[in-house]
Amino acid sequence: MSVSPGALTPRGLMGRRPRLRVGVGDLPLLMAYVYVAAMTLVVLIVSPALIDGPGAIGANFSLVVPLALVCFGQTLVMLTRGIDLSIGGVISVGSALLATHLNAKGWTILPELLAIVVLGVLIGCVNGLVIAYTSIQPFIVTLATWSIWDGVAFGVLPVEGGTVSQSLINATNGDILGIPKSVWIVFVLLLIWRWVRSTRFLDDLVAIGSDESRARLLGVQISKRKVQAYAACGLLAALASIWVTAQTQSGSPDGGDQFILASVAAVVIGGTNIFGGKGSAASSMMGAIAFLLIPILVFALNLTSFWGIFFQGLILIIAVTFNSIIQTRSQR
Amino acid sequence: MSEGLLDTLRKHRSIVLAFVLAFVLFLVGTVQASGFASYDHIRTVLITASFIGLVGVGQTLCMLTGGIDLSIPSNLAGAAVLTAFLANGSSAPLIWIIPMVIGFGMVIGLINGLGVAYAGVPPIIMTLGMNSAIQGLLLIYTNGGLAASAPSSLVNFVNGDTLGLSTMLLIWVGIAALATVLLSLSAFGRKLYAVGTNPAAARLAGVNVKRVLVVPYVVSGAGAAVTGVLLLGYLGQAFITMGDVYLFSSAVAVAVGGASILGGKGHYIGTVAGAIILTLITANLNLISLGESAIDIAYGVILLVTVYLATLRLRRR
Repeated sequence: MSVSPGALTPRGLMGRRPRLRVGVGDLPLLMAYVYVAAMTLVVLIVSPALIDGPGAIGANFSLVVPLALVCFGQTLVMLTRGIDLSIGGVISVGSALLATHLNAKGWTILPELLAIVVLGVLIGCVNGLVIAYTSIQPFIVTLATWSIWDGVAFGVLPVEGGTVSQSLINATNGDILGIPKSVWIVFVLLLIWRWVRSTRFLDDLVAIGSDESRARLLGVQISKRKVQAYAACGLLAALASIWVTAQTQSGSPDGGDQFILASVAAVVIGGTNIFGGKGSAASSMMGAIAFLLIPILVFALNLTSFWGIFFQGLILIIAVTFNSIIQTRSQR
Repeated sequence: MSEGLLDTLRKHRSIVLAFVLAFVLFLVGTVQASGFASYDHIRTVLITASFIGLVGVGQTLCMLTGGIDLSIPSNLAGAAVLTAFLANGSSAPLIWIIPMVIGFGMVIGLINGLGVAYAGVPPIIMTLGMNSAIQGLLLIYTNGGLAASAPSSLVNFVNGDTLGLSTMLLIWVGIAALATVLLSLSAFGRKLYAVGTNPAAARLAGVNVKRVLVVPYVVSGAGAAVTGVLLLGYLGQAFITMGDVYLFSSAVAVAVGGASILGGKGHYIGTVAGAIILTLITANLNLISLGESAIDIAYGVILLVTVYLATLRLRRR
């Protein structure tokens, strides 16, 4: 069984071997690499210390880790033509709980972290079940659950603060074999994606996103796969919340909200087809790096940091418009 | 009118139901607290609802076509902040500031609409990006989101009375009437419903689908700007996060009012009921001293339940 490199086509669905030729429709999948290369180049020329200074790689990648986690999940969901806005709520709830109720030391933090992850999976399952078994659109379902879990987070931790277990903070900092842990995590995520994209699970997601009624005829268990996709998204968001809370060393009841725009932007910049059926979590992670390079670039150019927020919104608008035009053209 | 009153009521069952629910919520509040049914409190509730109602005009149109406008929060805050900063406390320049600010809102809406209609961008992603872009510009403009005060004439206008009735409520009634005429009596309204129900069929019937799809976002942009200016007068202050609550509340009000998020069904009158319901729920939750947390949870649950009920109704047909 072979899978074409880069762009994924549902195995056997086309009745012929997937084309290896890169078409115009695949262009969006390459754009993230162009953005990253261009921005890195400018920063390296203007203010190289921001990228190759001592500790800069580790510090930059510690911001990439949570977004890479979330946009991995968002990619899975968007492959099925869905979207998950509730990750904002999941991260906020996780952060609020970690900063208030979970203060164990040493290895005993593990069961507590496991509880957060299980919560993320459960939240994702609820999203998936509602989306799979009703005809409500994913953006409405997850808009509602985003509001619900944000409410819960505010109930648990009304204002930013709380205390985070020192063991947890230590666990996310430092190096392994001279390479920052944050870099390792992104590397491991890429390996996981390499494995995931060769699984039946991903083929099914792609089939659902390409043409749901056709996938049903082919015997894809649509409801089960959708629940799994949203559960995975919840799981990854919970992991992101653990990382963010440890890194910021405090809880935030609305700290997850920023990840909604960021994860959607990362996926869109990464070129995943917003109409479903084609995409790559690796490209999304490259999109995440591009998204996070924007504030660095803004800083290097000596602009007020607020320009970063403007350009992050602008890049999403431009990338999504570009992708939409190309992807609707190539589908015709 | 060829159809009888009963037929009309039956046809708009969900809207009637929404008003009944609003009345029940009002009774619940009245039982709990003595001042709930006082003239002043009713007035406050309705004025609070009117802001949701005003942003709800555009949101209703967007959702009728199966879209949504998430750029309302920063569009609204932008109009308020810009008005407050440019006027700088004096009233005379409002004559050119307000039309200009509404013009900005319409341009932002136009960009959203063009992206959605002509480039085929999913509305949720387009407006999400727009929300962030405008927020960035606002932060740059205000140098970090400092609050600014409203000119006193605007404060007096919004909080004052005209002909013995609250000016704010008169504006809402006027705009509700306009929206009703637009949806029920105009050719554009018929096209909008046609596009919302089935874009392909509408195209075959000779409707310029893309042009129709742009309009809801322009209306929403203008509506958010108008609401921002009025809210500036009501609160007396402009700040960057002042629009945030309207992200959920506008969408939930539309859904509660019976507009189908699958497009093609619903009416602004339903949104009016939805806005009042949400405000009454907030007031009731405040009575039993449950704050922001409970309100967020309630909004989410209500959104899910009402949309679910709407899909059941559609399936039965």
